Amino acid sequence: MPAGWVSSELAALYDEHSRAIFYLALRFLGDPQKAEDATHDVFLKAFRRLEQFRGDASVRTWLYRIAINRCQNICQSWHSRHIYADSGDAVLENTAARTDSPLRVLETKELGQRIQHTLDALSEEYRLLLLLVADEELSYEEIAALVGQSADAVRGKLHRARKAFAAHFEKTV
Amino acid sequence: MKQQTKLAQKQESVAEQQTQSAKEFPNSDELLRFDAAQTAVPPEIARRLQKSAVRLPPPPSRTWWKNLIGG
Repeated sequence: MPAGWVSSELAALYDEHSRAIFYLALRFLGDPQKAEDATHDVFLKAFRRLEQFRGDASVRTWLYRIAINRCQNICQSWHSRHIYADSGDAVLENTAARTDSPLRVLETKELGQRIQHTLDALSEEYRLLLLLVADEELSYEEIAALVGQSADAVRGKLHRARKAFAAHFEKTV
Repeated sequence: MKQQTKLAQKQESVAEQQTQSAKEFPNSDELLRFDAAQTAVPPEIARRLQKSAVRLPPPPSRTWWKNLIGG
């Protein structure tokens, strides 16, 4: 068992999936401290329920399900005290149709900030879909199951989400 | 003369750095994958998790009949 870990299963789970779960939490919540808390909570909950994991889905999908619930709960409690985000489509209506062109980045140093600003401008639904589809381990069917929609609906929404992302991203230069 | 050479070298170096950092991504999926690969998980999470996991009660042991039927 790796040093410091109470369970080799937890250590292996964390070692393999922590980057994916932390990245989802970080970009979905837009707050490194909240993302740390959420990632900790996700793996602790998963460890507590390891016996209940039935293997119907992949471990990664199971962890994502826990992470999405946790992040949405955090967002809900935050939004109930603050404001709501815009739909993300509003910019599309006022932007010339250059959204299918490649995304050019001159300076990768500030890329994280640009990506975060872009994601923050999108709706939670679009943000989540874009982050999930960026994980190559997930199929459209798995994403559809995670967000409770059909695979076709996910494909349609992803098309619009990618366009909204590109339109907002251009504005962050 | 020496100063001009130094300036030219510096300009070349800056141009080289800009070329190295300039990237093009075909779509948001690739951009986010790149961003994810660049994002490091803070080691503090693992430390907190290790402490929290120690405080958890041990998982319930499987009953003999569950072991028998593999349920």
